[in-house]
Amino acid sequence: MKLKQQKVIKKQPAIPPMALSLEGTRATRTGTWRYLTPIYQNKAAPCNEGCPAGEDIEAAMILSGQEDYLGAWEKITRENPLPRVCGRVCFHPCEKACNRREFDEPASINALERFVGDRAFQTGKAYAPVQPKKKEKAAVIGSGPAGLSCAYHLASLGYRVTLFEAEAELGGMLRYGIPAYRLPREVLDQEIRNILSLGVEARPRTRLGVDLKWKDLIKGFDAVFISAGAWKSLPLGIPGEKAAGVMSGLEFLRKVNSGETVDLGARVAVVGGGNTAMDAARSVLRLEAKPLILYRRTKEEMPAWEEEISEAEEEAIEFLFLSSPVRIVVADGKVSGIECVKNILGPPGKDGRREPRPVAGSNFTLPVDSILSCIGETPDFSFLPESLKKTAGAVFVNETGETSLPRVFAGGDIVDQPRTVSHAIGAGKKAAMAMDASFRGKDVAEALSPARWGEKGSLSMARYLGGGADGTAPEVVRFSDLNPAYFQRRRRKSKEKLPAAERASDFREINAGLSAAEALEEAKRCFNCGVCNLCDNCFLFCPDMAIAARPDKQGYEINLEYCKGCCICVEECPRGAISVEVRK
Amino acid sequence: MKKLLTGNSAITYGVTLCRPQVISAYPITPQTTIVEELSEVCADGRLQAKFIRVESEHSAMASAAAACAAGSRVFTATSSHGLAYMHEMLHWVSGSRLPVVMVNANRALGAPWNIWCDHSDSLSQRDTGWIQMYCQSAQEALDTILQAYRLAEEVLLPVMVMVDGFFLSHTSDTVDVPEAKAVDRFLPPFKPRYKISPDEPHTFNISADPSLFISFKHAAQKSMEEAKKAAVLVDREFKARFGRGYGLLEKYRCQDAEVVFFTMGTAASTAREVIEDFRRQGKKVGLCRLRMFRPSPMEELVKFFSGVKKVAVLDRDNSLGAGGIVAQELKAALYAAPRKPKVYEFIAGLGGKDITPETIRETIEITLKQGNPGSHPVWMGVQA
Repeated sequence: MKLKQQKVIKKQPAIPPMALSLEGTRATRTGTWRYLTPIYQNKAAPCNEGCPAGEDIEAAMILSGQEDYLGAWEKITRENPLPRVCGRVCFHPCEKACNRREFDEPASINALERFVGDRAFQTGKAYAPVQPKKKEKAAVIGSGPAGLSCAYHLASLGYRVTLFEAEAELGGMLRYGIPAYRLPREVLDQEIRNILSLGVEARPRTRLGVDLKWKDLIKGFDAVFISAGAWKSLPLGIPGEKAAGVMSGLEFLRKVNSGETVDLGARVAVVGGGNTAMDAARSVLRLEAKPLILYRRTKEEMPAWEEEISEAEEEAIEFLFLSSPVRIVVADGKVSGIECVKNILGPPGKDGRREPRPVAGSNFTLPVDSILSCIGETPDFSFLPESLKKTAGAVFVNETGETSLPRVFAGGDIVDQPRTVSHAIGAGKKAAMAMDASFRGKDVAEALSPARWGEKGSLSMARYLGGGADGTAPEVVRFSDLNPAYFQRRRRKSKEKLPAAERASDFREINAGLSAAEALEEAKRCFNCGVCNLCDNCFLFCPDMAIAARPDKQGYEINLEYCKGCCICVEECPRGAISVEVRK
Repeated sequence: MKKLLTGNSAITYGVTLCRPQVISAYPITPQTTIVEELSEVCADGRLQAKFIRVESEHSAMASAAAACAAGSRVFTATSSHGLAYMHEMLHWVSGSRLPVVMVNANRALGAPWNIWCDHSDSLSQRDTGWIQMYCQSAQEALDTILQAYRLAEEVLLPVMVMVDGFFLSHTSDTVDVPEAKAVDRFLPPFKPRYKISPDEPHTFNISADPSLFISFKHAAQKSMEEAKKAAVLVDREFKARFGRGYGLLEKYRCQDAEVVFFTMGTAASTAREVIEDFRRQGKKVGLCRLRMFRPSPMEELVKFFSGVKKVAVLDRDNSLGAGGIVAQELKAALYAAPRKPKVYEFIAGLGGKDITPETIRETIEITLKQGNPGSHPVWMGVQA
């Protein structure tokens, strides 16, 4: 049987059955309603602001999320030539600033930096050679992280750089202060080689004031960066300090890290609660002696980083809190014990930490074979000219890192700044920028201004060179600027550690890196705060279809003829990359 | 091909044959197995459709509406509270003249909590502008889906197809599943005259001011009236193609009937047996089942009931404070009748209470025995 479909309704009504705009919505220029205008505006991520070395962590995270680890390495090394070092020893203030902290746990930025650095090393990635094109010459005094950073950035900018180092090998505190179980020597050596490959002239065993005169230095170079660090240990200031068996913690670390044999005996008292004390005690343990940390306050007030303290605890290192040494017990010119007094904590002092107060009559004596004093370090100014202004144990520098002498800059532990590797790297970079601006006859402070990430002094070389042309606003995106509805809770991947029982006999690196799968997952946990990552949310939500992908597919554009300014796109942007402008 | 299928499975087969492009649904007992099976059909590629898992029935209907406005044939299914939750969107869909097809597995509305069958859920939605069809068998459910798309797309009104929860949704019967090619010949692809598209943007449902609003509603009313005729024609064509037709009213042994038992849904199949018993006793009793509730087939009801002396209406629902909704509909229609039967009203089977042959026999006996109906509906099986 052949059947035709019957058309039931014969005639169509004249008007459409439903209310619709027959002409199409293009005729309605809804843009005329607008008094708020959304604009795509990338902003600084809090991690970038929080990185004293001024890394573009944000960009490195996006590239890592796309498995472009070499691209991420290039982003990082544009700012910091030591990603493998920092991926191991940086105290990662970026993670403290990470917005994800307020959602579940911060992104493992530090572990990812290490992964990116190690991956670049494994693939043989190196810096492209730079031809020194510029006539100015710069000298860098001290090859710690500040000096290395300054030399690297100056060389990258095309300047001729000479790096003076008093010790036999380059690296400063990285080599002689930080134990190998935290920073393997081959990692440090490799990154230093990379920096030298840019044509930096290294002059080890050249001590300023002995092998090199200040006068000659000033005459021979157009600018100088002083990054000689803080190597003088503060004395304990108690009777018996001259006895054999009393040593500064830093001197001990320098010896151990230079491969010298140190005989400490069986029981070692380590006095202090900072990182030097932790490093010294943990090194003592690895020399198969028994360390005891004596600290005058409690764990709460310890200035050492949390990770160092917890690792020391994992290694079962003994702590004795609220105890101050008052006298060293000496027998036959040698240490035989340490007499301490118990403290109670009084009200907070100037730095906000509660002050210890000795309890009369609470003295007690511990039998020890040696004592390592780790109560602080101070810079040595003996090789610097009198005319160089100093303040309270530091070389004076202004906000651009310049000292009281023209074109003499300083940074790192020798100036008054937090004594961290990343702060030192940031200071070295700032000096390189300042020298460049000064050589180019620019106003230094003005030239440095577009390089800022936020307000904490973090500076980006890429932004300095671009003069802020990357369009990223310096304002920082906070958690409240994000739309967390678009994120899923996921556990953070942390570095695996060597079991504590396996750490006591040698200086093997105790932290393992992330696996490739973990690194990728961690990169994808990043919120990409303030930076458009082409997620399409704005496009999907725009009720006026006024948002379209840009022809280059690297972003979106808003058709203002139709955008009526509802700003739903701003609200729905997961990462605060769209701002609102009020326009007449 | 003949298959042994539950009512819900028969619906799944019917929907698959209609080739919807978008299905958005939220599970709810006793409808769940429909969308569950449809999700499998979508997942394994037997049906090329986008299956949207939504967070609520309100969203299920909203996304079905949006997809339909974009030119897709769409399907969703729900039940009871899910349908109630859709209420607002039901109006939007019919007002936008979107030919959405939905199955509602009839289930009581709480409180008290109840998952079993009655018709209060869909009858509560009678004024939302949807065509409503009530089925009696798995075969009819499948066939009604095919008819529903054809009808909806002809008159641009949404269709709600009802199956009694559990009694039909979850019981198995032999079902003749039509050939896909035959269905394609009956149901051409959906090609709306107006659709929203990024290439040619239009706004749907722009504001209609007071001078226009009433005109849109009047146009929809005219389409509802046309839908009655269209449903008859579609059913007739369906019968010609597939050999099965149902009509707007289904009549059984009514030629000389003096008393007619009138109801909707599966109670009608139970009633058939009871009618046979009365016929054996020589009593002139017949059955009429209302298949299309909206648009109300008033003319057909008037025509049919004008020759009947008494009608026993069994409502599986109750409008609190008024009475059975089917009875009210019938009485409203009969106002225009030249000769009016006496209407005996019964409320039974709420919240899944069985409507047994005895229940039906009792209603017919009361109707036969009493000279006039009481002033209120008789409630069957209420605890004393």
